[in-house]
Amino acid sequence: MNERARPAFARDDETAERSKKRMREPNEIDFWRGFALVTIFVNHIPGIFFERFTFRNVAISDSAELFVFLAGFALRKLVDGPAKPLSARYLILRLEGRAFTVYLAQLVIAQLAVALLAGASLLLDAPFLLDWNNASAIFTDPVRANLGLVALTFQLGYFDILPLYVALMLASPLIALCYRHARPALLPASLAIWAYALTFGVNFPTWPTEGSWFFDPLAWQLVFVLGFLLAGEDGLGGLARRHRKWLWRLALPLVLLGAVAAKTDFDPSPIALPEPKLFFVFDKTFLSPARLLSNLAIVAVFAGAFGAIAGALPRIAGFLSLLGRNSLQVFCAGSLLSLAGQIFRFAYGGDVVSDAFIVMFGILTMGAAAWASEWRDRLRTKLSRAPAA
Amino acid sequence: MGFGMAGQAADKIVAGACGLALAFAVAAPLAQEAAPPTEAPPLSPACEAPAGDIAAPASLPHFAKALRERKSARILAIGSSSTSGVGASSDAKSYPAQLEAILEGAMKGADVVVANRGVSGEVAAVTAERIKSEVAREKPDMLLWQLGTNDALVRVAPEEFENTVRSTIRWLKENEIDVVLVGLQYSSRFSRDEEYFAIRNVLQRVASTENVAYVRRYDAMRFIAQNHANLQMMARDNFHLNDLGYQCMAEHIARAVIVGAFAKRRPSGN
Repeated sequence: MNERARPAFARDDETAERSKKRMREPNEIDFWRGFALVTIFVNHIPGIFFERFTFRNVAISDSAELFVFLAGFALRKLVDGPAKPLSARYLILRLEGRAFTVYLAQLVIAQLAVALLAGASLLLDAPFLLDWNNASAIFTDPVRANLGLVALTFQLGYFDILPLYVALMLASPLIALCYRHARPALLPASLAIWAYALTFGVNFPTWPTEGSWFFDPLAWQLVFVLGFLLAGEDGLGGLARRHRKWLWRLALPLVLLGAVAAKTDFDPSPIALPEPKLFFVFDKTFLSPARLLSNLAIVAVFAGAFGAIAGALPRIAGFLSLLGRNSLQVFCAGSLLSLAGQIFRFAYGGDVVSDAFIVMFGILTMGAAAWASEWRDRLRTKLSRAPAA
Repeated sequence: MGFGMAGQAADKIVAGACGLALAFAVAAPLAQEAAPPTEAPPLSPACEAPAGDIAAPASLPHFAKALRERKSARILAIGSSSTSGVGASSDAKSYPAQLEAILEGAMKGADVVVANRGVSGEVAAVTAERIKSEVAREKPDMLLWQLGTNDALVRVAPEEFENTVRSTIRWLKENEIDVVLVGLQYSSRFSRDEEYFAIRNVLQRVASTENVAYVRRYDAMRFIAQNHANLQMMARDNFHLNDLGYQCMAEHIARAVIVGAFAKRRPSGN
């Protein structure tokens, strides 16, 4: 009996092991993605005490660049990994499916944000809350604003990264297919589009509010494509890996220079600069070269640091990797938590203690969202196997 | 020199303005080309307030130079819901649109373009980022920055707010762009709110030490609310302005702009 029972148990253990393995081990990309997610959550609560500890205070780029860079990195891992055997048709389907998922996530969180503001304005008898995050058009011009919300031409403040991500994922089959069939053309094409956007100030318009996208997809695709290329073992990624030490030495002064610029509020004056000025100022919307370089330098300096961090702080490394593995769910949770934090600070004032509560509550809830998402996956796996067992 | 002197100088202007209203109305059509106005256009009766409550003007040399040399000037109106025009019946009733009409009416033959870049609910730190991008592309002669209300509401620390505003003003000066700061919304709800008060103080101090014009919106609105209680300046939500409220806002800003650009005896500080 025992002899026969053992393999059965062993098989169960194996199943459990496999199902655990489905959740990737903590790794560098997930860790930094988790780090970027936590940073974005804090940065999106204006005035919060802990904002001063986020790295944008010592750099001229911030977690938005890091997040998009890592999204490009993850796309490459998908294209070279699970999606490698797919034909062009299925690859397009798969990537557009992902774009659609991100789009749905954006619609859901935007609608929840609107409801959060509406509910808070009723509860606190504070009509001005309906203005926050650029939401007022939803209430004053609902006919056009609701169309704009669905078309992504109307974006709530701080809810403007996912629209960029949707645009990038919509274009991702072009990137993947160019990589498969015309690899040398990918970087020049991306650079050309970026340079075109900066030279002529080309950006997507917003509607019904007058203005343009906070993150210009035509400019920001470059950092996404660079993430995609640097994730590979060959080409640009291979080159970077072979010369990692030199890159580190090159990047370190840039990172330090960025820290000095950020600390001294240095920002070049367009009047003293030649045309096209967007190449020389530190512009976020158009991802000016200085911000792009800052991001790449930070990546070069900290690439490889994960091993040491995971060794010294295994729990934190594990937790941030958990967040990063479930980045879409955690991003959505984080966006709504940031808004809730803003409302909390309005209602109860902002001091270090309540800010510490907001940050701890937020990070734990983001962790819970990630855990719930993985638990659901495990449950699904278990249930799909149940009838066969 | 402090606020007092600027206030006195502006007081005289306002005292004269009412009397000059008729003369101005007659004289204006006679002006042949973009002659600089010697006085600010008169205020509508509903919008009248003591000059000291309206603005602390400062000179606007780049805006004046643009009008003198090109007969045209570009103004960038940036800020939050009061700039985008929440509560107005149409875009044409927002303060930047009304301001454009007032300035062109006051300076016959001049072409003034006021671009509206208001994003509702925005705090100054985010606007500051947009300012850099807009300036690099649009190259305005003058920037009207309406700010403070949302920073007070989301509890941005006053010193952090001060750093943002001060460094942005200095950056704008380096770029030869005149700045007019447009202050906080008045609401009886926040008349005793410490944070609101602190942010107002910071704005006043920054405008004074950086020598930039400051439209004292809170004071003017409070004066009108207390002295013209029969006039409805607010939209239905009782927080945003309605068309008349935006008209007064535009008239008050126009006053600070014209005084700052053309007044012969410019106050040496504010």
